[in-house]
Amino acid sequence: MRLKCPKFLCFKDKAESFSFILASISIIILFLIIVFVLNEGIPAFIELGFSNFLFGHRWSPYYGDFGAFPLLYGSILIVLGSLAISVPLGVFTAIFLAEYSPRWLSNILKPVIELLAAVPSIIYGFFGFMFLAPKIMEFLDVSMGKVALTASIILSMMTVPTIVSISSEVIASVPKEYRKASLALGATKWQTIKSMVLPAAKPGVIASLLLAFGRAIGETVAVLMVCGCVPQIPSPPWNYLEPVHTLTAAIALDMGEVSWGSLHYHVLFGLGAILLVITFIVNMIADFFIKKAPRGVQI
Amino acid sequence: MEVVGVKPKMEVKNLNVWYGANHVLKDISMKIPEKRVTAIIGPSGCGKSTFLMTLNRLIDLVNGARVKGKILLDGKNIFNPGIDLTKLRKKVGMVFQKPNPLPKSIYENIAYGPKVHGVKDRKTLDSIVEKCLRVVGLWDDVKDRLQDSAFELSVGQQQRLCIARTLAVKPEVLLMDEPCSALDPTTTRKIEELIQTLKNNYTVVVVTHNMQQANRISNYTAFLYLGRLIEYGPTQEIFTKPKNKLTKDYINGKFG
Amino acid sequence: MKTVKEKTVLFLLAFSAAILLLAFVAITLFIGVRGLSAINFRMITTSIRKGGIFEPIIGTLYLLAGTIAIATPLGLATAIYLAEYAPKGKINRIIVQALNNLAGVPSIIFGLFGYAFFCRFLGLGISLLSGWLTLTCMTLPIIVRGSQEALKMVPKDFRVAAEALGTPKWKTIKDIVLPTATPGLATSIILGISRVAGETAAILFTCSVFLTKSLPTSPLHPVMVLTYHLYTLLVASPGTSMDRAFAIALILLGLVILLNLLAYLIRMRYRRRWKW
Repeated sequence: MRLKCPKFLCFKDKAESFSFILASISIIILFLIIVFVLNEGIPAFIELGFSNFLFGHRWSPYYGDFGAFPLLYGSILIVLGSLAISVPLGVFTAIFLAEYSPRWLSNILKPVIELLAAVPSIIYGFFGFMFLAPKIMEFLDVSMGKVALTASIILSMMTVPTIVSISSEVIASVPKEYRKASLALGATKWQTIKSMVLPAAKPGVIASLLLAFGRAIGETVAVLMVCGCVPQIPSPPWNYLEPVHTLTAAIALDMGEVSWGSLHYHVLFGLGAILLVITFIVNMIADFFIKKAPRGVQI
Repeated sequence: MEVVGVKPKMEVKNLNVWYGANHVLKDISMKIPEKRVTAIIGPSGCGKSTFLMTLNRLIDLVNGARVKGKILLDGKNIFNPGIDLTKLRKKVGMVFQKPNPLPKSIYENIAYGPKVHGVKDRKTLDSIVEKCLRVVGLWDDVKDRLQDSAFELSVGQQQRLCIARTLAVKPEVLLMDEPCSALDPTTTRKIEELIQTLKNNYTVVVVTHNMQQANRISNYTAFLYLGRLIEYGPTQEIFTKPKNKLTKDYINGKFG
Repeated sequence: MKTVKEKTVLFLLAFSAAILLLAFVAITLFIGVRGLSAINFRMITTSIRKGGIFEPIIGTLYLLAGTIAIATPLGLATAIYLAEYAPKGKINRIIVQALNNLAGVPSIIFGLFGYAFFCRFLGLGISLLSGWLTLTCMTLPIIVRGSQEALKMVPKDFRVAAEALGTPKWKTIKDIVLPTATPGLATSIILGISRVAGETAAILFTCSVFLTKSLPTSPLHPVMVLTYHLYTLLVASPGTSMDRAFAIALILLGLVILLNLLAYLIRMRYRRRWKW
């Protein structure tokens, strides 16, 4: 008996329906994540009040203070700091790779950048904790090395590969005809890049920056080990030589010690919900820019 | 091969080009007369485009290309190590086979060249844009939509835009690589008329595989075959009384 | 003068690239030098209780094996569905969008989710199984993306030829598409393994503990894992057992570098071989 089925559910054979079921598990997982994180997190928002939670200035869970603002501030502070380093570094390297680097050098650089992206965050944290933090303490003459600056540097190391690999692909895919036309008009190589290639590649480069932001703000272990974990807003607020605390570090540190179902437990999930919302928004904006990028770019 | 009576703007002396091991241009020598249209004809793949690319050193961009010989522009060899490429390409402009407007507005396409060479004043740029668009006959069509993307123009208009763009940097020589091959007959005729007016102020070198076109628009014609310059002279002579048998056969359609 | 500017620009750009190279070298040397002097056969084979790191190594292997065993068929099936059965259209876009979003979820959120869903809601507790399932969710986008790419690169002509001979679609996939795409599929699995091997945040409270009686004998037991062990050593008791810490760091870094180089080589080799 032929059943009437909506177009997209009509499968030709069992193999197709079987793989469809498995494929839709991805959608189910995403759905479950959203549901469960929100479900466990909403009680915190309700009990504390949305603005008290989000904008409260004191984070002392063991004394019952659950103001998430210092965490939010810390997260954004170190991420912006890391972008200040990784954006110029990443974009310049991407231009170098796409336009200037000889083949033998590219064959070394490209794997190295892929490897930098693959290094586990705990290794970065280890490196920051054991090497970078003491050095910063020494060279900048501060009382402790685990400060916002250290976290920003480590984060930039972790996110530069994202910027480089996407940006260099986007730049390289700007059509050759445009370059020939520009050079034939008497422009120098750099003028061609600056006035023509880069503007054409802008949407893709911006997407890479947004993705770097998204990855940096979600980073947990490396940040945990070098940021100092002091929930405060530095004074003055742009002082990178003071320790801070972040959303991710707070979740990781406290989660092992909360009792299930307690307010503290729900608060941590609330922090997770905030993080989830931020990353979703950033990824959506990045998606928008990727669609404007020349040709299809793989993330 | 001598061209009598007209001052040569460019002079090619024993030009040889290799792509890797492939000897693409073999010992070409010719004089390109000033303020005339010189056509380069020959069957596909005989090196016409390569030849054109050496004249503004765009050949430098080709991986694995090797060049030997001299090309004089106003008496100076353009392959000298001290030559400023940007100045050379300002003097010797190029229009490509497929129209390749820059991904910018119509205005910006034309202003790009002058800007690159240092023109900053907005009023000067405005007048350059208008002048060049008038010369190519586009001004009336686009004067109200200068900020639109160049890609909104038809293919024929795009090609004229590219010509205008090349004129904006005030070149002395215009190289055109089969400028009409992507266009329909009506637009082709318009551009051919344009070339005729251009020759009053510019030295024009046109590569074409269309013999009738060469006959129509050029003063001098060079016939290239398998990388060699077979014959070169006034267009009338080449087409009515060719001296070389190969030239005769090509013109009569026996090959190519 | 224009050439001076061009040269300055080139220098600046090359300098940036050099900094990246330097960063990589710094990390590798820092861990490699001290790690190589700290690690030895005895340490790898001795139990934790006696100063070695045997159990975390085995635990990591258990974790990897289980995750890959679950994630690979799942990811492959998804990729096959996306590339072969529904390469265009609404469903494709929805699934791809879901995967893209999953890829962007921070790993600590996977940890929270894993705990709330697998450990608590499904009652699996802090166990190997919870870890497998959580990490599967995390690695799925990586495996699907890589596999999809690999499948897309198989030329249409192969499929058309097979189907013209009357082969049913699933057989075409099984006998022709999959074998051809194997290098690319292998690469994506290797990259998935690499991601799982180095993961810390997602397993923090879903499957790993610092000390257990012995190696897990069932998937419902918690497990000791290299990354978590290193984490605890550094965060909880810095200064002690630095040798062990460096040894673990070396193993992790070495593993990840080897896996990624392997994936890179496979890609390069097969890209050259099949020049279609």
